[in-house]
Amino acid sequence: MSNLATRKGTFRPLMLLIAAALVIGAAGSAGAAGIPQIVHARQIHFKTLGKTAKSLRDQIWRSHPNWNVVANDANQIERLASALPSWFPAGSGKGHGIRTRASATIWSQPQQFARAARRLFNRAKDLNQAAAGRNLRALRLRIRALGQACASCHRRFRAHSSWW
Amino acid sequence: MNATGATHERVRVWDFPTRIVHWAIVILFGICWWTGETEHMHWHRIAGYGVLGAILFRLGWGLCGGETARFRSFVRGPAATFQYVRKLLGHDRADPPSPIGHNPLGALSILAMLGLLLTQTVLGLFAVDVDGVASGPFARWVSFATGRRFAHWHAANFHLLLALIGMHLTAIAFYRFARSENLLPAMIHGFKWRTPSAGGPYFAPWWRAALLAAGIATCLALLLNIRW
Ligand code: HEC
Ligand code: HEM
Repeated sequence: MSNLATRKGTFRPLMLLIAAALVIGAAGSAGAAGIPQIVHARQIHFKTLGKTAKSLRDQIWRSHPNWNVVANDANQIERLASALPSWFPAGSGKGHGIRTRASATIWSQPQQFARAARRLFNRAKDLNQAAAGRNLRALRLRIRALGQACASCHRRFRAHSSWW
Repeated sequence: MNATGATHERVRVWDFPTRIVHWAIVILFGICWWTGETEHMHWHRIAGYGVLGAILFRLGWGLCGGETARFRSFVRGPAATFQYVRKLLGHDRADPPSPIGHNPLGALSILAMLGLLLTQTVLGLFAVDVDGVASGPFARWVSFATGRRFAHWHAANFHLLLALIGMHLTAIAFYRFARSENLLPAMIHGFKWRTPSAGGPYFAPWWRAALLAAGIATCLALLLNIRW
């Protein structure tokens, strides 16, 4: 019994030391990996945005859309669209060891980029309104307008390649 | 070669539907290329449906069209193809081995071209653009991730098509400069110069092309507008 207790006693400082080293190491590498993580998170947000837009678009192909799905999707699109500008902090472009198609013009033409993001947000609001009003005709027009807001920003601010 | 006009006669080789389909595919392919690269998906879809319709028409015309358009008249087995290649490389220009219509190598290129173009359009029908909105009409039956995979195959197959088109143009240049056979005008006006022989190829009546085109247009319109 006492044997075990002493062994525990000698192990405890060692364990603490290892734990502390791990925590410090993790914190340090988190700091260094900040930009790859930001880029990765941004791409996941965009994938969710794409998935949600597709889900909503699939509904308007039906003769009887599921309006609950439509309302949820439209809400989420508006939420994501309002957050979009925060996914592009300065310095989160290419050259950090993670593939990204974020063009350098995002940061060299910040006003135009902000305007593109703003247009998306406005169209997402219109879409959400049509969804809330259960207006299928308006919804069809507005999902197309939303898609155009995505595409026009991609044409301008999404580079053709991940590398240059 | 047609300078010695007395021993040559002008024969009709390609009928109107075959030529129209050929040039329609060239133009629509160019439109698809440009609109695909610049993300003008509305026009991309419309031009893509045009390519799909033209390919289906050409496949049908290969079964019921004029002689030079029919697969039966120009698709050959490996032995005949190999023999043709040996003659072609034999520099025996006095004996042009080319049949009046497609030669056996050209037949392979046509099959590859029709196959890749059909693949391209079918992949496009299921493809999902990054925005999730501008997608093919059948994309609603697949998930976003699967639709994106289709889009990547669509892009990869496009590069195969570019390679094949490069080969096609190289072959035409080869015949022009190495064998003094100018193939291009015949695909525009439909005639070739030939030594007189036992009659030209037979052609199909125009109403057959009209029926086939109308049938394909109707089927496509129905297929692309399914609601469920
Ligand atoms: C204000 C500009 C802008 C708008 C508007 C915009 N995007 Fe993007 N999008 C980008 C940029 C920049 C990238 C490249 C991000 C990267 O690679 O880091 C991107 C990338 C993407 C990706 C690929 C993510 C990945 O996996 O790499 C998807 C999917 C996407 N966007 C969907 C959408 C959808 C859907 C919309 C509209 C509802 C939209 N985007 C609107 C700028 C925009
Ligand atoms: C011969 C016919 C076609 C050609 C040559 C063609 C060519 C192309 C090209 C070059 C691209 C851009 C790929 C890239 O680099 O990202 C593209 C994208 C696309 N095409 Fe087509 N296409 C054809 C037919 C179709 C058809 C019939 C459809 C369906 C309606 C379609 C749907 C799409 C979609 C949704 C995209 C976007 C995918 C992406 O984001 O990459 N295409 N196409």
